[in-house]
Amino acid sequence: MKQVNILSVCGSGTVTSSMVAGKLKEVLGDKGIKVSTTEARPTEALNLAQSGRFDFITYTSPLQAGDYGIPTINAFACLTGMGEEEFFEETLRVIGEIKR
Amino acid sequence: MDLDLIALDVEAKDSESIINELGQRMLAKNYVKDSYIAAVLERESKLPTGLDLGEFCVAIPHTNSEHVNVSNFAIGILKNPVEFCSMSEPMKKLNIGLVFLLAVKDPASQVGLLGSLMKIFQNVELMKQIRNAKDKEDIKSLLNFIEY
Repeated sequence: MKQVNILSVCGSGTVTSSMVAGKLKEVLGDKGIKVSTTEARPTEALNLAQSGRFDFITYTSPLQAGDYGIPTINAFACLTGMGEEEFFEETLRVIGEIKR
Repeated sequence: MDLDLIALDVEAKDSESIINELGQRMLAKNYVKDSYIAAVLERESKLPTGLDLGEFCVAIPHTNSEHVNVSNFAIGILKNPVEFCSMSEPMKKLNIGLVFLLAVKDPASQVGLLGSLMKIFQNVELMKQIRNAKDKEDIKSLLNFIEY
């Protein structure tokens, strides 16, 4: 079973990042992908991303500029449901490109 | 749903005053700490929470869990919309007539509540029904699917 580690970022590192994380676990879990998520604030995101522990970032609050070194995906669609299909297409494409 | 956490026909002049109004209701029931309202306002000014859902906009002000005693949320239906900025595009102003003030203590153990709230934001028809509701019991019955 494929496993992915996702850094889910939102303004307070709790509410919307947890909503997105829950949705990712539900949808990707149904596709046989084991999802582990960590919720964080935008100010913590760069350090965490550079730690090497994560495969990609999903965010609902704008990320600060920087070299994250991993793909970043706007998860606003996942939160509002508008464009959710495209969000999961992009997420699955990114997961497909993970080499390990 | 705690009926005291529903505010109908609120006459608020701006986002700060509706956050205050709903925050006071949460505070009166001890769901949140004294520091909560100021923390929500501070966060809203830096990282706004307006959601533009196309034909409908809603705002979900909230803050860090350290200001919360017990997870819950309050609903404010505004007589006249007020401006909130957009979460995805913070410079963009949205006219908001429906506000969900959220207090979340421990997100990991509140998957049910967060998932239920997300279902509301993704359901424009339901939000319109809440926005147009004339009494609190109607809102309560519209939201009886929420898991706490």
